[in-house]
Amino acid sequence: MNAQDFAFIENALNADADIKENLRDEVHELEKHLRHMSGTLNRIHSTPRSEIPALLATVEPGFTQCRESNATIAALIPPNAYWRWKDIWARHLQTAVYVASLIEYLSTGQLLSLDEASTRLGFQAEWKDRYYIAAEDYLQGVISMVNELSRLAVNSVTMGNFEEPLKISAFVKELFSAFSLLNLKNDGLRRKFDSLKYDIKKLEEIVYDISLRQLVKRDAGDDK
Amino acid sequence: MNILTAFETFRDELDDQQEKRERLIKTSREVTATAKKIIFLLHRLVSAENADSQGLHANAIKPAKKKLGELNTLFAKMAPELKGEEFWRHWRSVSPGLQEYIEALSFAHYLEFGTLASYHDVQAALTDADGVPYFNIPLSDYLLGISDLTGELMRYAIVAISRADGTLQARQVLDFVRGTYADLEKFSPHVRELPRKQDVTSASLQKIEDAVYAVVVRGAEYRGQRDDIADEIVRRYVAGLDSALSRGSRGPRDAGADDDDGDD
Repeated sequence: MNAQDFAFIENALNADADIKENLRDEVHELEKHLRHMSGTLNRIHSTPRSEIPALLATVEPGFTQCRESNATIAALIPPNAYWRWKDIWARHLQTAVYVASLIEYLSTGQLLSLDEASTRLGFQAEWKDRYYIAAEDYLQGVISMVNELSRLAVNSVTMGNFEEPLKISAFVKELFSAFSLLNLKNDGLRRKFDSLKYDIKKLEEIVYDISLRQLVKRDAGDDK
Repeated sequence: MNILTAFETFRDELDDQQEKRERLIKTSREVTATAKKIIFLLHRLVSAENADSQGLHANAIKPAKKKLGELNTLFAKMAPELKGEEFWRHWRSVSPGLQEYIEALSFAHYLEFGTLASYHDVQAALTDADGVPYFNIPLSDYLLGISDLTGELMRYAIVAISRADGTLQARQVLDFVRGTYADLEKFSPHVRELPRKQDVTSASLQKIEDAVYAVVVRGAEYRGQRDDIADEIVRRYVAGLDSALSRGSRGPRDAGADDDDGDD
């Protein structure tokens, strides 16, 4: 290899390595904020329904930090390079969607849409050639939220809240039929989707246990 | 937006990407298969004809160069689906064919010029009629393709050395592969699959070293007086290397490849 070609390749590889390193550092910051938020969210399993809004309010400032991190990350990514370095942040964006959609469900009982999630996390339309939430990561995050809700159903019962599991069950069933529209191939999303089936089963058992013992009015599940 | 409507959009998007991925993989496989055939063709062309005084084969490889040019049709077919951010989204589907192409192109380049095809040479080959690149070649694919070239050169050197005039070529290949190995070693930390391929190159390098050693040592006592005996000794030694090569180290990926390209 002549000296000129060698230097060209060396410089280009070093430049890429620098970008990658900076991205890793910034994504690590994002991860810290997200861990803080999801750590606090863990308390939903031991917090009475009436105190949930107060708990969610303590998590809210985390979004400001996430938005700042995301802006820094977006500035580091060269145009059209989203898929090149996606592995660095994909997992964390899934967590971000999980956190945001769990908060949305606990606040409004609704599914957070992809657009809403993007806004909540500070994604700008002009980053669309470098940094955004890809559909598959959004879907992964939503399934993580369902995984958490099936846990919440169990723990709600423990705390004496027999209405919550019925609401969760209805919500998750609607989501399940939405996911069934997708033609999933044998990949990560497929495996994650399979976990949804276990959640459905678990929720059905909880609903059965509650109904059997007449712990809740028969029609409570419908007025969600 | 209603949940079901949103998920229908996701379904369409995921389906589109999946179909695109399948199309690209199919075309990339065609590239791989054709590039492999071109490599075999190059081996046949140069073994049928003596090299020129510089140990080069510029004339002999013309048919293979033509076929390499024809591969551009396949790249032109993929290019529209790899615009903008789509290139990196589907890079993993395209990369195997691209590397095999670079291996074939750089092999032809070596046989013609005795030098390494530079990154810019390769990029210049992958452009349309107006000189617009089909896409920017990732450095990692260039380096991995070059790394595979060393294996082809090892085969080329072993075959060449069994001929009376082949020692020059074998020694040139030896220097070239040694230099390439050293250059690639410095890039190894940056390219994930490169360290493993460097082990293969190192093994190829040793095979060429052993063959050149054999020519020097075994032929020495007769060389100059009875060249026919010297040639025969070398030929027998190398025939052993060659058959060990085709049985052992080619590996399953080349199995059967000799059968289906007989009509080139």
